[in-house]
Amino acid sequence: MKKRLLSVLLVGTVAMSLVACGGGGKKADSGDSGSSADSNKLTVWAWDQTFNIKSMQMAADEYAKDHEGFEVEIIETGSDDCQTKLTTCANAGDYSTMPDIVLMQDNSYQKYLKSYPDAFTDLSDMDVTWEDFGELKQAYSMLDGKHYGVPFDNGAVIACYRTDILAEAGYTIDDLTDITWSRFMEIGQDVHEKTGKYLLMNQATDGDLMMMMIQSCGANLVDEDGNAFIVGNEVVEKCVDLYAEMIEKDVVKLINNWDEYVQTITTGQTAGVINGNWITATLMSTEDQKGLWEITTMPKVDGIDTATNYANNGGSSWYITSNCKNKELAMDFLASTFGSSTEFYDSILPETGAISCYLPAGESEVYNEPNEFFNNQPIFSTIVEYSSHIPEFTSTPYHYESRECINTAVGNIVDGADKDAALKEAQKTLEFKMTE
Amino acid sequence: MTKKNKSASQRRLIPTYIFLVIVSFISVFPLYWMIAAATNTSTDVSRGKIIPGTYFIENFRNLISQQPLWGSLWNSFFYAILTTIVCLLICSIAGYGFEIYHDKAKDGLFSVLLLAMMVPQVATMVPLFQMFSKAGLLNTAVGFMMPMISTPFMIMMFRQNARAFPVDIIEAARIDGLNELQIFFRMFIPTMRSTYAAAAVITFMNAWNSYLWPKVIMQDNSAMTMPMLIANLITGYVTDYGMLMCGVLFCSIPTMIVFFVLQKQFAEGITGAVK
Repeated sequence: MKKRLLSVLLVGTVAMSLVACGGGGKKADSGDSGSSADSNKLTVWAWDQTFNIKSMQMAADEYAKDHEGFEVEIIETGSDDCQTKLTTCANAGDYSTMPDIVLMQDNSYQKYLKSYPDAFTDLSDMDVTWEDFGELKQAYSMLDGKHYGVPFDNGAVIACYRTDILAEAGYTIDDLTDITWSRFMEIGQDVHEKTGKYLLMNQATDGDLMMMMIQSCGANLVDEDGNAFIVGNEVVEKCVDLYAEMIEKDVVKLINNWDEYVQTITTGQTAGVINGNWITATLMSTEDQKGLWEITTMPKVDGIDTATNYANNGGSSWYITSNCKNKELAMDFLASTFGSSTEFYDSILPETGAISCYLPAGESEVYNEPNEFFNNQPIFSTIVEYSSHIPEFTSTPYHYESRECINTAVGNIVDGADKDAALKEAQKTLEFKMTE
Repeated sequence: MTKKNKSASQRRLIPTYIFLVIVSFISVFPLYWMIAAATNTSTDVSRGKIIPGTYFIENFRNLISQQPLWGSLWNSFFYAILTTIVCLLICSIAGYGFEIYHDKAKDGLFSVLLLAMMVPQVATMVPLFQMFSKAGLLNTAVGFMMPMISTPFMIMMFRQNARAFPVDIIEAARIDGLNELQIFFRMFIPTMRSTYAAAAVITFMNAWNSYLWPKVIMQDNSAMTMPMLIANLITGYVTDYGMLMCGVLFCSIPTMIVFFVLQKQFAEGITGAVK
């Protein structure tokens, strides 16, 4: 036994030294782990195998048809992990491990662009007609009039309703199209009384619904100079009132986390969902609800001049890092696929469900095809059309911080706290977070 | 003891057993649920179905078509076993040294070491990354294990246990002509088997489950480990719960096996090695 243990330990030591050498060898083989030194290859960080990664792979295949030998190496990196890595690289002052192209969430990008401007490449001179993307979508990846990203994934907000539940209460999708939140509340109460189901649900732990309501008015929780603007913000106060009232009147069901959110959909406890259009993928995974769902615009805030029925939630764009060794290739690749090709967008739609922000793509036949799951509505062209109406608002690098502050305030108000005090607290917290 | 007494004492145990059954159920249920979920479709899982289904093969196929399961399993095994062996060797030598050859200066050094335990790993990540990147250790096994092979906790554990190691044996061994290294390898290690087992379980699990550091330093798809693979399964717009649970199952089995195999020694090692 003694000998055996001793030998195991010795073998371990030998193995370690071998690996130390082997590891070094491996490193030399694969070259630099970050951006690709090969003149015809680009490395990409992205997440979601069936969506972003697949779209990127298809773009590469498409591009390789005219550019022999071109290839991309996609390293699966979750959005949060991508941000951790970027922060680590930036703080270490060493971007050499960054890839050529990186996918980032629209809502978090501004913070990284402002904190680490030297991590990204200015794409303003790229061969892309920027006006072909919605104005708001462009704004997410812009700073001082310069373009840094190629918009990809569409985050236009849609309202999805179960038409069977609506019919049970005597309503159709038209009754919920282009309405205000007050009208929505009336219908919601009625639906709850007649069917026992809620017209909408929302995660109590994230403030997405509040943000969508506020931003659908072209407003945000910051003023034009980027300072926290919650107290005295007419839009915010109105939205808070509406939201609290909806909870009180059993129109919105509050749930705790994302898993429960999905469960509420699959078990048919909710008659409606309002979220970024990427939610359609979750709906469509519940096959036995095929034909029961339809989509329309979200309600708009009452009594606000700038209010619209359109907002954005989520979405992402492609960025070229400053570490990219072959910027011309990367720019040409992105410009000729994601930046300008309706054929490309047509080809990825049926495969991945990735809906374009590129407005001309919405006019194509593929985008206008009826979707069986949504009772034969042509949802893709509808969504692209919605995205052209989303109002612009002052963006802030502190999107997630402001969302958290307003959500905490709303939660407290719903629980009975004084509204003014809660909003003041939120204003103070946000101001503090902005100094961090 | 009369029959009456016996049944009375048995009756007194009933609440204890009920309590134990409830606690066992609470600990085992998540494991059961994980296995059941791995055999159901995503929609069924989200609808709360807890009876095992027939969808396991499909979930498994989806998993291996989307993720490099075998490569990640191999990487995780390789890095975790290597880390465990090297960590045990280094930390036990250190712990042994601190206890057996102890003097004032070493005690002072040991306090510094304990202080290092208070520094969270995230705080050292940026400088570590900088060092490792400059040294060309990204995507290598050495890069993976280096920050993990010498932990204050392990050194402390070995030092505490070395305290119970009889000094007489060392004296006797010295008289018999063994040198210090031989004493360590021939006397200390065999006597401290259960401490090693406990340390091995802890180190293996830490290495197997480590996420943040590998995620930063292992930047190649081919260097992916199991926790990184699991994380990738939940980053998409749609979570396939069945496939996710299938992945989690594969990630949990090895740690379960290691624990079950070394369970007895683990318990002994935690409570004190030398009887």
